[in-house]
Amino acid sequence: MAGFFTSFAISASGLTAERLRLDLISNNIANMNTTGRPNDPNNPPYRRRIPLFAQILRQEEDAGVSQPLFSGAGVRVTKVLEDSNPPRLVYDPSHPDADEKGYVAYPNINVVNEMVNMITATRAYEANVTALNAAKDIALKAMEIGRG
Amino acid sequence: MDLFSDQVMVSLVKELDAGALRQRVMANNIANVNTPYFKKTVVEFDSLLKKALGREPVEMITTDPRHFGGKPSLAELRPEVSLSKETTMRTDGNNVDIDEEMTNLAANSMQYQAVAKELSERYSGLSYVITGGRR
Repeated sequence: MAGFFTSFAISASGLTAERLRLDLISNNIANMNTTGRPNDPNNPPYRRRIPLFAQILRQEEDAGVSQPLFSGAGVRVTKVLEDSNPPRLVYDPSHPDADEKGYVAYPNINVVNEMVNMITATRAYEANVTALNAAKDIALKAMEIGRG
Repeated sequence: MDLFSDQVMVSLVKELDAGALRQRVMANNIANVNTPYFKKTVVEFDSLLKKALGREPVEMITTDPRHFGGKPSLAELRPEVSLSKETTMRTDGNNVDIDEEMTNLAANSMQYQAVAKELSERYSGLSYVITGGRR
């Protein structure tokens, strides 16, 4: 039975990770016009955030008793990175964030990029839901064994 | 008399175990579909089962995985999980093929349900015999 719950947890980890990615993408798009003053560490523009995915390896808790067959246990976000690309400079002297030369720093966010990543994240989320449903189906079927 | 541990029963139970493991492995592959450098794992069971059920001219039972020459016994049959290093067209080094995983997921689910049903039928057959057909 433990196998099924592990399977649920693995799919859930995928859902969580993809959901976090979607949140970050939304945040990036929402902050597309969050400005800053160029070269001013106290007032930097928003920087695009990217999740770093890594697979989880299960602790081999039953090592010694019997070698576990499979040590994968899903995915997790280990870090949220900030895009190091330089900000986009726009000439707008009347803007409150403009520097002495009249430039305002905008985040270097490519909206097409974000939309493509959003679709990937949505599709991956759906795939995890499908996997979870399959696990549910077979778990329910297993409980029917012997019921006649 | 082996009511609950004949060859068919044992094969069915092993098949269920393998199905649950395969589900876990595929869930892991799908969860990691966007993880850079992730390589998928695959479960090998059907060919091992076939080998364990096959009739060889000389049957030698192995009692240790280091023994060779005999056929593996059904009771010790375990699915094999291996890392697939096959290459990919993707630039992030991930080799999960989502279409393949989805297809196998559906197939595994149906196979599991069929095997569970078959096992259930066997138990109800036994139950029928035990009660002498009286219910």
